[in-house]
Amino acid sequence: MSGQLSADIVVIGSGIIGSLAARRLAQQGASVLILEAGPRLERARVVAAFRNSPIKGNWMAPYPPSPWAPHPIYVPQDNGYLKQAGPYPYPAEYIRAVGGTTWHWAAQAWRLVPNDVRIKSLYGVGVDWPLSYEELDPWYQEAEEILGVAGADNTGSPRQHPFPMEPVAEPWSMRRFRERLAPAYPVVANTVARNSRGYDGRPACVGNNSCQPICPVNAQYLGINAVEAAEAAGAKVVPNAVVFRIEHDAKGRIAAVHYYAPDKSEHRVTGATFILAANGIESPKLLLLSASDKYPNGLANSSGMVGRHLMDHPSTSLTFYADEELWLGRGPQSPSSINTLRDGAFRSQHAPYRLDFTNISQVLNVTGDLIKEGVYGAEFEKQLRWRAARQVNVKNVLEVLPNPDNRITLSAEKDAMGIPKPEAHYAIDDYTRRAAEVSKADFARIAELMGGTGLRYSAEGQFANNQHITGTMSMGNDPASSVVDAFGRTHDHENLFVCSTGVMPTAATMNSTLTGVALALRTAEHILPAKNAHAATAHSSHEASLA
Amino acid sequence: MAPEEPDSVAARRNGPVDPSRRRLLAGLLTAYTASLIPWALAQPAPHADRGAFTALSAILVGRQALDAAQATRLYDALAAAHPNFPADVQALLTLLNERHIDPQQLQGVLDGEHSPLAPLPRQILGAWTLGVVGSGEGARCVAYETALNAVIVADVLKPPTYAYGAYGSWASKPL
Repeated sequence: MSGQLSADIVVIGSGIIGSLAARRLAQQGASVLILEAGPRLERARVVAAFRNSPIKGNWMAPYPPSPWAPHPIYVPQDNGYLKQAGPYPYPAEYIRAVGGTTWHWAAQAWRLVPNDVRIKSLYGVGVDWPLSYEELDPWYQEAEEILGVAGADNTGSPRQHPFPMEPVAEPWSMRRFRERLAPAYPVVANTVARNSRGYDGRPACVGNNSCQPICPVNAQYLGINAVEAAEAAGAKVVPNAVVFRIEHDAKGRIAAVHYYAPDKSEHRVTGATFILAANGIESPKLLLLSASDKYPNGLANSSGMVGRHLMDHPSTSLTFYADEELWLGRGPQSPSSINTLRDGAFRSQHAPYRLDFTNISQVLNVTGDLIKEGVYGAEFEKQLRWRAARQVNVKNVLEVLPNPDNRITLSAEKDAMGIPKPEAHYAIDDYTRRAAEVSKADFARIAELMGGTGLRYSAEGQFANNQHITGTMSMGNDPASSVVDAFGRTHDHENLFVCSTGVMPTAATMNSTLTGVALALRTAEHILPAKNAHAATAHSSHEASLA
Repeated sequence: MAPEEPDSVAARRNGPVDPSRRRLLAGLLTAYTASLIPWALAQPAPHADRGAFTALSAILVGRQALDAAQATRLYDALAAAHPNFPADVQALLTLLNERHIDPQQLQGVLDGEHSPLAPLPRQILGAWTLGVVGSGEGARCVAYETALNAVIVADVLKPPTYAYGAYGSWASKPL
């Protein structure tokens, strides 16, 4: 064992959520250390890696895993990191690197709708959250102001204060959807962490249309922005620090964490308070790995719920040709959606969903299709232009209910560092499948209103995954059925908190990052109150856990 | 935005046509294949293998002009990825010369006859249009901004990662 580090607050994971919790705590004067398993990346190198990649349709290609901190890769071959126990595959993607998975995201920064946190009471399904939408509102606002969120008030999520920025300019393609689907479907601007004007030293979007895998110009807020903000506030980041064990003392308080450097040298980090923020798969993995004589089922796991209630957002979709030239690919990738199906009495019968339109350039896909079809000669160019101008896609984003059988466990297989790999147990139940069936009528109607031809529905029973890893360390008031309390503190360990989309008790229909950030800011306030905390937090009990 | 005329780069690079080279490429074609690509007769053909590749490429991608430097890079990459590549290119060109196969029917004919040349047209089209040679873990990116799928739509779209234009410029009608 060599080297010893110590801090008031030790954060495991440098993604957008952990880093923004770290930033807030550092701003309050705490010493903060962030341990990140993966390496530091440079934006320009990621851009170059994408341009030079032979598999541009695979957005993970510019983010190759490091041998000491592997993450799942499926193209051109499954690297076998996330083991699949079935019955339905859960091919989650995430990035283990400084800044985490939001290096590549569409920057959709949604709030929930108020009823999302009360679906048990209202609809008899899932569980209620241990806090209300109204309690979340100020934390959403704080998160939106940090990220720089652009949006409008017509998405079903109420707010007390205005968005930091007006919505990003609507691409022509989305304007035509909006005009032609009205009044049957209101098409509205997505709420996004993308600049519609210069904001916080970052420029307005210039339409590079590569939000995924990488925004080249820093117009979209990424985890690396959060890391840099945390560092500016005084936090220290240790990259390539693969935490493999959380150590507790005789009283059950966390005393230290242990990490491997890439050379497998072992390091011990002590602290007063620990925040686990390594995403909804790596975090439960670490809790399970840290089993001891006192906690044989893993830390924070007296309920047996660590790793359970794994959720995401599966999607089915329709691709078709509109009867006019729309030329997807001008402007950002994810500009607009239909939000009217996110809530309703039907939730007692089937999942709610959002309908999302892509504005990703269709050129790559169309080229692949034409090559596959063997279209040669002058017809190739003609078809490429015709299809690239007209091909469009609408997908649903379906809620999955919390089910204890959907879970992350430890695989018997180990990675190169000798650490057990995570294993996913996953199924998509009838509640979600019924909604996929219902949404087909929406797809058909949308295609009809757009004069659609060449309709191609995604294969029956096949769902695409959206990488919104949720659940696995759910929050709740009852220590027997949840892992953390309403402030993210583990029920079992006084000084161990979880900041992650993994604490969300239900997945709702919205990309989970903003909710994860809002909850993390609330956790940070609970650990160490800000000097100028907003009024809404006056109702919460504050607690300084610093030694 | 000021879209670049798609062929302008190729035209500049090809420069003035050398009549002796024109004859060389034309000499690889029959009247039928020459009729498919009258413009391509003016393409440079440094030697027979590369000339056959240029001619076959022109037939498959149906373009008015092909960038000579890119042709060289793609040929080298394809020849490195597929050992029999030069001979296969010659064989497929000969097939087209002799049997007067319509490019639209080509894949069907090759597949129907279980021809060993069946994968070749897709390899060449993929190289030109995606800029990618090889497959799976052996795939290589040889071109991106100058791959034909970017060039063909360059009056409307920029390749992803390149700025479309000033903020909001995407709100207008594309064409």
